[in-house]
Amino acid sequence: MIHRINNDGWSRRKFLATSAAGATIAIAPSFLIGCGGPATPTTGPADLSGTSGGGYFRNFGVDDQVIGKVLNAAMGKGGQYADLFFQHKVTSYLGLEDGEVNQAYSNIKLGCGVRVLKGDQTGFAFTEDLSTEALVSAAMTAAVIANGPAAPLLKTIVRVDVPQYYTVEIPWTDVGIERKMPMLARANKTAMAYDKRIIKVRVFTGDSTSRVMVANSDGKITEDTQPMTIAYLTCVAQDGKRREENYYSFGKRAGFEYYNDDRMDELATVAAKRTVTLFDAEQPPAGEYPVVLAPGLSGILLHEAIGHGMEADFNRKGKSVYANRIGKSIAPDFVTIIDDGTNPNERGSLNIDDEGNESQRTVLVENGILRSYMHDRISAAHYGVKPTGNGRRESFRYPPVPRMRNTYMVDGHHSPAEIIASVKKGIYAETFTNGQVRIGSGDFSFYLKNGYVIENGKLGRPVKDANLIGFGPEVLENVVMVGNDMELNVGAGMCGKDGQRVPVGMGLPTVKCNGISVGGVNNG
Amino acid sequence: MADKNLMEMARNTALIARKAGAKDARVFLSRSRNVTLEWRDGKIDRIRESTSQGLSIDLYVEGRYSSNSTSDLRTEAIEEYVKTAVATTRYLAVDEHRKLPDPSRYEGMTTENLERSDPTVSDIRPEERMAQARQLEEAVRAGDKKNKIVSVTSWVSDTSSMTVGFATNGFEATEAGTSFSRGAETSVRDTKDRKPSGVDYGSTRFQVDLPGIEDLGRGSLRRAMEQLGSKQVKTDVYHVVMENRVAPTFVRHLLSPLSGSSIQQKRSFLEDKLEKEVGSKLLTINSDPHLKRGLASTAWDGEGMATIRRPIIDKGVLKTFFIDTYYASKLGVDPTSSAKSNLIWKPGKRSAKEIVKGMTRGIYITSFLGGNSNSTTGDFSLGIKGHLVENGKIIHPVSEMNMAGNHLKFWVNLAEVGNDPWMHSSNRSPSLMFKDVQCSGA
Repeated sequence: MIHRINNDGWSRRKFLATSAAGATIAIAPSFLIGCGGPATPTTGPADLSGTSGGGYFRNFGVDDQVIGKVLNAAMGKGGQYADLFFQHKVTSYLGLEDGEVNQAYSNIKLGCGVRVLKGDQTGFAFTEDLSTEALVSAAMTAAVIANGPAAPLLKTIVRVDVPQYYTVEIPWTDVGIERKMPMLARANKTAMAYDKRIIKVRVFTGDSTSRVMVANSDGKITEDTQPMTIAYLTCVAQDGKRREENYYSFGKRAGFEYYNDDRMDELATVAAKRTVTLFDAEQPPAGEYPVVLAPGLSGILLHEAIGHGMEADFNRKGKSVYANRIGKSIAPDFVTIIDDGTNPNERGSLNIDDEGNESQRTVLVENGILRSYMHDRISAAHYGVKPTGNGRRESFRYPPVPRMRNTYMVDGHHSPAEIIASVKKGIYAETFTNGQVRIGSGDFSFYLKNGYVIENGKLGRPVKDANLIGFGPEVLENVVMVGNDMELNVGAGMCGKDGQRVPVGMGLPTVKCNGISVGGVNNG
Repeated sequence: MADKNLMEMARNTALIARKAGAKDARVFLSRSRNVTLEWRDGKIDRIRESTSQGLSIDLYVEGRYSSNSTSDLRTEAIEEYVKTAVATTRYLAVDEHRKLPDPSRYEGMTTENLERSDPTVSDIRPEERMAQARQLEEAVRAGDKKNKIVSVTSWVSDTSSMTVGFATNGFEATEAGTSFSRGAETSVRDTKDRKPSGVDYGSTRFQVDLPGIEDLGRGSLRRAMEQLGSKQVKTDVYHVVMENRVAPTFVRHLLSPLSGSSIQQKRSFLEDKLEKEVGSKLLTINSDPHLKRGLASTAWDGEGMATIRRPIIDKGVLKTFFIDTYYASKLGVDPTSSAKSNLIWKPGKRSAKEIVKGMTRGIYITSFLGGNSNSTTGDFSLGIKGHLVENGKIIHPVSEMNMAGNHLKFWVNLAEVGNDPWMHSSNRSPSLMFKDVQCSGA
């Protein structure tokens, strides 16, 4: 099984895939039409916390009574547990190409996924039709995983408040397209002005508001409003006959307030600088070298080399290279690694996971010792531990599986300068576009876009376009120095697993690793 | 919902757009039903079963363009959504290049039966899926003489779908399709806690064309066992053979820079290569959208234009780009269609096995691990796994290796094409042999 991360946010391929489906912009929530009322803010949905009674999905005719009926249908064939995942997600993208903001895409996802568990076995169905009949029909389909007498009928439903890790001042549902257009125009202007060799600029922004409600057969209901925004800028530059391309991106759980002129200028300037730098760069020499990872985006190393291997589904199935390693030393004692859903407004942060469990800061590796896997409900039950809030899904169309949130290494004691100075011949790896891992064999790779050769403790000529490969557990053991400059990546990371894509965050201080093979040229 | 109702809904949606002020609109409505059963270590792991519907609409409003999609198909919701989308589109910059295809491009759609739909899909009983999945696992375990298996997951999946398309300038079409897949993933025990896994699978439009259960079981175990004891080999220049099933992963990096967007946005190392040599004379690829039972067979492309057979690369010479109506207008050329469709290669005379036998020293690549390719410059660097070959014999499995180069030089070194097209991808690539490839390891 292969797991990929793609860090270029809305890569062209992804964007085109999205655009084929197409959608937009401060869209009036369509339940208002269903209620026959005009689309005015004052008649908006009930408060998300549910304290005002009924919750958001009541606007689609889904009240507690309907929820009870559907859960009873789901538990009607002997299932041990069932949950309903309702989602209404409004997404809007805007694109600038050849100097004009001339492309808009919008998408609405509305539906409900029904999951029934019997031990570690899953029955799953979804429906885009939220009528009681369609929901009950989906529940009866998911129920077939079990084969026994119906569970006792559900009597009470309790709505549970959730913590808030992403504050939003200006929700995207209130922001029309005309307010976003100048952001893209500004970024384009700044990028074009950065260097006369820049000949093409494309800018995309995307935002979404996802309302979710999880109701389970324990009678617990949790709701969340999950904002997301990304901005992505790509430049093509030409110098003589030679052309280069590069990008920069932002990804946050934040509202429109996240953006201002400085932010867009930063997006443009960093992308432009990273592009023209490539004119001085070559593919690095081939072979095995010490690699110094720059802070921030290099967290992709953790994500691929060890993160996926610590997702508990692979471990309960015995398939991970980290199966049966809890409590054992897997890294030097100065290495501590966290998977965290509670960082304010970060891309991988969550108030609740997609099983309705509260998010948390999970210590995966503490001073070199493997302390915890990342769990969903099934794996937590398997190991007899509490869920860690890692049960995630791409949308209501998928059952949840254990996934990372924001995964990072905590600071060590070395200064970045000291780490670079310690390398006689090696690579300084600064930016990446994508990575991949084989869970069972532990092989992982990540693709270097910008870096430098290190010679005699100093940064030398720039390098580009090289795949870096290692064996996860060995790379972790071969972390020899950890810096004191941890940064979370600001970019729009996406992670793929089980055919599902979810947004993730990652971070790293400056780190020196031995034993990484550099996919370069010229026989080293 | 019958396809007649879907078409009526598509027409009505376009009409709503027109009434709201759109000059033109194109609507696709689709419905698909999928059942996937996953089986693990003696019992069902997951059953997924759902019917999904979706609507997408491209809007052309006062010279402006937007694309929108929704899964909320309540009549009132669609109406409100389309009206809002039309209103929103008016804010955008005018783009004279945005328009529907010329209606002449809808004409001449093939009337051949492309055999996209297997009618047996609706006859499959749940017990049959379960039996197949169980037998797949049994077929894997039957070969486990050394007791190395950690876990086996098998799956059986079938999908049927219906799509209707309607555009206000005369496009109207319906297409149904089915797809089937089944396979198994086997994890085996190795040293250092490694548990390499092997996957074998098939993916077809007709159930009857799926590979046999015994073959898949044996293949899955063999692919896992072959990785036991894998290690790096020394950084050097090697000849390589890419197995047919993994070649499409690499070929994708050669073909994606042929899109109209890449060409017009100057992000293609192939921009000035039309009618020029891009590879060795052995490289011939044709696009055949009318291949019976082809995974990408279709009478019309994503814009509704009638599809045609066409050469992509002929004896190493690049014959076409993949250009849609929008980028064709920007580039001042005729659209060629952005759809790659089924890719059919001119085969060689030997299988991968025979090619490997004839190799003095090289690497037989059986999978890629990450990596990327720069579409602007053609530079690439990809992780590889496979086997070291010496004097025609497989010596040991290799891992933690990369290969790197530039497509413009790389494809000139294509030295042999296999006779073994991979049937379970729309890119029916045979195994490919390249000379003098930079590989890095220890």
